[in-house]
Order: sequence, then C-alpha cells, then structure tokens
Amino acid sequence: MRKLLSNLLCGSNSYCFSRVSDDTGNRLRFQLELEFVQCLANPNYLNFLAQRGYFKDKPFVNYLKYLLYWKEPEYAKYLKYPQCLHMLELLQYEHFRKELVNAQCAKFIDEQQILHWQHYSRKRMRLQQALAEQQQQNNTSVK
Amino acid sequence: MAAATGGGGERSSTRDRLLAALEDLELLARELIEILAISRNQKLPQPGEESQILELLIQRDGEFQELMKLAVDQGKIHHEMQLLEKVVEKRDNDIQQLQKQLKEAEHILATAVYQAKEKLKSIEKARKGAISSEEIIKYAHRISASNAVCAPLTWVPGDPRRPYPTDLEMRSGLLGQMNNPSTNGVNGHLPGDALAAGRLPDVLAPQYPWQSSDMSMNMLPPNHSNDFMLEPPGHNKENEDDVEVMSTDSSSSSSDSD
Repeated sequence: MRKLLSNLLCGSNSYCFSRVSDDTGNRLRFQLELEFVQCLANPNYLNFLAQRGYFKDKPFVNYLKYLLYWKEPEYAKYLKYPQCLHMLELLQYEHFRKELVNAQCAKFIDEQQILHWQHYSRKRMRLQQALAEQQQQNNTSVK
Repeated sequence: MAAATGGGGERSSTRDRLLAALEDLELLARELIEILAISRNQKLPQPGEESQILELLIQRDGEFQELMKLAVDQGKIHHEMQLLEKVVEKRDNDIQQLQKQLKEAEHILATAVYQAKEKLKSIEKARKGAISSEEIIKYAHRISASNAVCAPLTWVPGDPRRPYPTDLEMRSGLLGQMNNPSTNGVNGHLPGDALAAGRLPDVLAPQYPWQSSDMSMNMLPPNHSNDFMLEPPGHNKENEDDVEVMSTDSSSSSSDSD
C-alpha cells in the first residue's frame, strides 16, 4: 500500500517533466489521482497512512491540498465515492491528521460511515414495515 | 439718517436718545418755569435767557418728535422682523422634515439596492453552478446503484462490501497495478505486493467500475507546480520506465483506445 503512494507521487512528478507523452501521461495521472482520492474514503487506509507518518510529511500535506480540485463539479462527477471529499476536507486539518494515528479513531469513523451508509435502507425498511402494518390493519378491518 | 439706517442695532441708542431728549426737555421745562417764576418776583437779569431756553425747548421737542417717529418706524420694522423670523423658522422646520424624509428614503433605497445586488449575486452564482437535471439524476443513479452511498438492502454485518474502496479494490485498481505487474510481465517489486497480486483471481481485473475510466478519457487533472518536494529524479526514472511500459501494455484501462 505504501508503494501505491510513492508511485503516485513519483509518477505524477515524472509526468510533469515528460514532454513527449504529455497527454497520455496526464490522462493516466488523472486516473491515478481519481483512484487515490477515493481511497481516502477508507478510514483504515487513512489510519495506515497516519501510522506510517505520511501525514507529517509536508509535501504530502501539500498534495492533499492540491487534491481539493476534486471538489469542482466538472471533476466531482467522476467520483463513485463522493464521501471521500468530506474526508479530504477533514484531512486539511492538522488535528484530524494527528487523531488518525489512533486505531480507535479509525474504527469509530468506520462504524459511523457504515451506519450512515445504511441510513436509507433502514428508512425504507421502516416505511415498508409501516405500510405492511397498515395493510394488515385494513385487512382486519375489512373482515 | 443714521438712525433710520441703523435699524435694530441702534435700538438701545434710540431709546437712550429718547430718554436723553426727555430729560433735556424736563430740565429745560424746569428752568423755564424757574425763570418765569423768578421773573414774576424780580426783573429779568438776562432778557434773552428765556427765549434761549424756549428755543432750546422747541429744538429739543422737535428732536423728541423725530425720535418718536423713528421709534415708531423701528417698532414696525422690528415687528416685521419678528414675522419674518417666524416664517424663517417655519421654513427651517419644513427643510428639516424634508431632510428627515430624504434620509429615510435614502436608507430604504440603499437597503433595497443592497438586497437587489445580493440577489443578483446569488443568481449569478446559481447560474454558474447550473447543472442539467439529467446529469444530476444520472450521477445519483450511478452512485446509488453501485451501493457506494447507500447500503445494499441485503447487507448484514458479515458482508465485505463497504462504503469506500476496500483493500481488494484498491489493489486491483490502477494504483495497485503499478505495484502488481504480475499480469503484465514487468519486473516485480516488493515480494509482499507480488504475493498479494498472486492471490488475486483474474476475474478481478483492473477495470473496476469505480475508476470510471471510460468517461475519464478526455479529462485532465489541473496542472500543478511540481513542488511537492518529491524524491530526486534518479528514483523517478525507474518508475517512469515501469509506468510507461504499463501504459502501453495495459489493455484494461481504456485510456488508449480512442
């Protein structure tokens, strides 16, 4: 996983230098950055990065700031996991980056994310239950 | 003349002059009466004196009359001045009222203009961010149908699916492929990664839907200054080679197929 990161950073740098395959390079960099920014939605990955000291690295922090361009609508429409943007915003704060070293913090975020993820399905189930109950009541009253 | 043009400023002097004239008259009258009284008893010591006094008296009387006229005129002027002052006061009040109303109107207009400007700003902002509803619906469908933002209905606590890219997904993505070149025959890197790659079944080929590479063909990331303070160029070369080989070999990412 660590190599993912260093590859990304090196890769993007090398593509900035190369003049020959600029367009292909940029497209590839786009995909790489797309993948990476979405990986930030994974709290376990964030914990991993924090524990290996990436968040203390100034260039990395600068890179996180640079990634904020994914908030623009013309870029955001490519995100499958838009919740990564919220994590990206939080990552701009040093306090959050420091907290992520704790595994409990990552676990808490993970739990909350999953609970929130289930919000709509729970709501739908409740509605369905309510509807089923109502139909039952109607049936009994008709009888 | 001087008195006539003096007007209000010399009112006190007019009064003084009137009083002075009255005193003079009084004195002269007294003297005259004394002389007449004396001349009754004795012969006149100075025969011209009474005529002198009479003349003076007449003169003083004349002055007195003039002064009285002057006083009357001055009184009239003073009265007119008072009337005019009242009119001026009234006009002053009117002007102040108008001023207040103008101020109020200005305030109201300023508020209205400010609010209108704010509204225009928000309209502009909304127009800038305008997105077709179709696009929004498509996007909403994409992110919900793939269970990225909404849990699948059959989800139970043992289910490996998550609202974020899992380890497996990350490794099978483009980033992961840069480390796990086993399918493409490039020189291996860390044994750990190769091991991970070995565990991947071929089914999980890099083309994962969450990369949306088919749509990203025309998208380019914004240019950034190269200054992330990265590793020295010597290190980059090795990866550059790898990645270039990757891009020509990868059949998975459709970025080359135009």
